[in-house]
Formats: sequence, structure tokens, C-alpha cells
Amino acid sequence: MQISDQIFDDWVRQYHRLLYGIAYWWTGSRSDAEELTQEAFFQAYRSRSGLRDIEAVKAWLVGILRHCYAQMSRKGHGKIEVSLDEMRDEFGDFNPAAISAPDMSQALALHQSLDRLDERHRLPIVLFYFQDLSYREIAEALELPIGTVMSRLSRAREMLQKSLTTQHKLEIVKKVKRS
Amino acid sequence: MSCELYKSEIYAWRPGSDAASFQPMFDHLACCPECARLFEELTASDRSLQRTFQNFPESPYLENRILTGLAHQRAQKATRRPTWKFWMFVPVFASLLLVFLLGIAPRLQQARLNREVATLLSTPPALQIDSTDRNQLLAWSAAKLESSSTLPAELSRVEFRGAAVVTIANHKAVYLKMKNERRASLLIVDARLTRQNGFHSMHENSGTASLWSDGRRTYVLLFNGSDQEMEAYMAKMGIAA
Repeated sequence: MQISDQIFDDWVRQYHRLLYGIAYWWTGSRSDAEELTQEAFFQAYRSRSGLRDIEAVKAWLVGILRHCYAQMSRKGHGKIEVSLDEMRDEFGDFNPAAISAPDMSQALALHQSLDRLDERHRLPIVLFYFQDLSYREIAEALELPIGTVMSRLSRAREMLQKSLTTQHKLEIVKKVKRS
Repeated sequence: MSCELYKSEIYAWRPGSDAASFQPMFDHLACCPECARLFEELTASDRSLQRTFQNFPESPYLENRILTGLAHQRAQKATRRPTWKFWMFVPVFASLLLVFLLGIAPRLQQARLNREVATLLSTPPALQIDSTDRNQLLAWSAAKLESSSTLPAELSRVEFRGAAVVTIANHKAVYLKMKNERRASLLIVDARLTRQNGFHSMHENSGTASLWSDGRRTYVLLFNGSDQEMEAYMAKMGIAA
């Protein structure tokens, strides 16, 4: 398939925020997410002739992002732990007023819960919640059968819910102790 | 089916899912308050999570960075392309050249030779003429010397059978063969006779020569014989050099 530079540049404008957001929730780091997104678009540009269906460009780009994330993980990049201070730093650079304290607390809890999930559950759950991708799109991006995606998502949602509930309870206990 | 088995269905369901395949789960929710409560909690939690997922730090310069990087890649590719293409076509060019040399070139050369031979056979050389027509020969000689076609009076009785253009000491000259005496020939040089312009070196071993000038051209009578025989010929033809 012949994809002109103009069309590809339009895809960058249209999908860079989506890829960056997914990468951010996968890695938990703004700088890693930026690096991943950039590398994904560069790899996509080099292999654009391999795109078979132009309608499936979103899933194709997410699939390439996943490959880049796997490469980054193999090289030992990516954050393991996320602290509240780091969260404040990352949000604070650009729009400090946009994120309220409860939202930031929720975001941190989400980061920590995602970090506890193994990769095969973390990757689909981000695609599921962040961009509301369909099962089919998630299956294409992760190169998995749709049934596997559904079962992994079901399990991941359950684990995420339990993790968040546990953290919520721990927060209440901490508050009670402080008071 | 127990509640535990329906739980996996509750976690698998999402808005927009195929209603028919989840109908047994909804039937169960209608009659199981505990599972219905789990479903409600999960749905509410999903909405909250979706909002939380949308809270991430913006990267306002990312788009520009990607587009700039792509432009740089394209520029690099454009500079590399000619070298790559050149080396790719080298075997093709070499093969074509080999085919040309082995197959087409000899044929073309033969055709060119045939054309040149045909041209030579159809038209005489421009610098030589075979004719016994005195006027034609003198006109041809005059054209080559770029001067008058008339000969001095002392040569009025001489007939010719052919002529050729030669160069004598960087001067144009015409060499005429006599018709009535095969041993004799006349050289007309488009230059004045001076002390330095001698023709002694041109004497044939068994012949002699006589030369004179009319102030504009130099005439040399070459004779393949003795001086006496040449003088006899000159007397017979009325040539008084």
C-alpha cells in the first residue's frame, strides 16, 4: 500500500496523543512515553508499506507501539516505582491547576495498581480503559486471538478492582492513624 | 450456573458488547442481588477509571518533535537514494554493454564499412581527378589552388590525363600528368619562385626537372629521363622555360 508523506504526517497529528497516553500508562513516565511514541512513529514510517488495511491504522500504530515497548523493556528502560512527588513533577510542568489533589491521588493509585499487574494484563487494560478500544482492535494491536483478549481483560479488570480497593482501604487506615 | 462463573462474564462485559451472548448473565443479575451489586459497582468504577486514565501530563512539543524527526529521516533517505540506485543498476548496465559489444557492435561496424565503400565507389576522391578534358582539368586545378584556370602561353600545346592535389612546403599545389608523354608531368605550386624555394630534392634518380615562374605561381616540369630527352620534349611541345 502506497502511503504518502502527507498522509503519514496527518496520522502523526491525529494519533500522537493517543499513543503517548497509552505509552504513559504503560511506562508510568512522561519521558519514556515521549521516547516510545516518537520511536513508534519512526518505525511505523519505515514499515508503512506493510499496512494492509488503512482503516486499521489505529490498531496498527498501537501494535508498533507495543513492539517498541517490548524493546524498551528488554533494554531495561522504564520506571518500576512511581512516587507522588514524581507525579506532581510530571503534571506540574505544564498545567498545575488542571489536576486536583484527589485526581492526582487516584492517578497515583492507578499507577501503582497497574505496576502490580503483569505485562500481559497491563497492556490490554490500558487499551481498554484509556482509549476504549474494541476487543477486535485490542486483539489486532496485541496480535492475540479475540477470546484470549476477552479472558485476559476480564481477569485484569478483576485484579485492578481488587488492587484499587485494597489501596483505598490502606489510605483510610493511614488517615485514621494520622488523625 | 453459580455466581462465581457469572463473575467472569460480569468482568468481560462492556458497553456495546453482543447483547445476545450476555443474555444469560443479565438474566442472572435480575435474580441475584449480590451479583447485581457487583455489576453496578464495577460499572461505576469503570467510569471513574476512564476519567482517571484521561488525566495524564500533556506533551505539547511531541507532535513537532516527531514531524521534525520524520523530515530529517526523509532528507537522509533522499541523499542516500542516488548512490543506492547507481549500484543497483551497475549489473544491468554491464549486461547491456556486453550484449552490445558481442552482438550489435560488429553488425553496426560492418554496416558502416559497407556504406563507406559504397560511397567511395560511387564518387571519386575529391583530391584527385582522371580526365583527358583539358578545360575540366584546368578548372578543377584552379578550384583547388583558388586561382586562375589559365596556363601560361608556353604550356598551350600540352594535354593532360589526370590531376591530384599535393602540398609542397606548406603551399597548395596541383600535380598534372601529361597525356602525350607518359614520362612527363607538371607541378603547379601556388607560390612564387625564390632562391629558398628550390626543388632540387625532388629530382628523381633517373629523371630531371625544369622550373620557372610567372611571378605568381611556380611551374615545375618533371621528366623521367635524361636532360636531353626532356629538352627534346620541351622543344617539341613549344615549352620555353
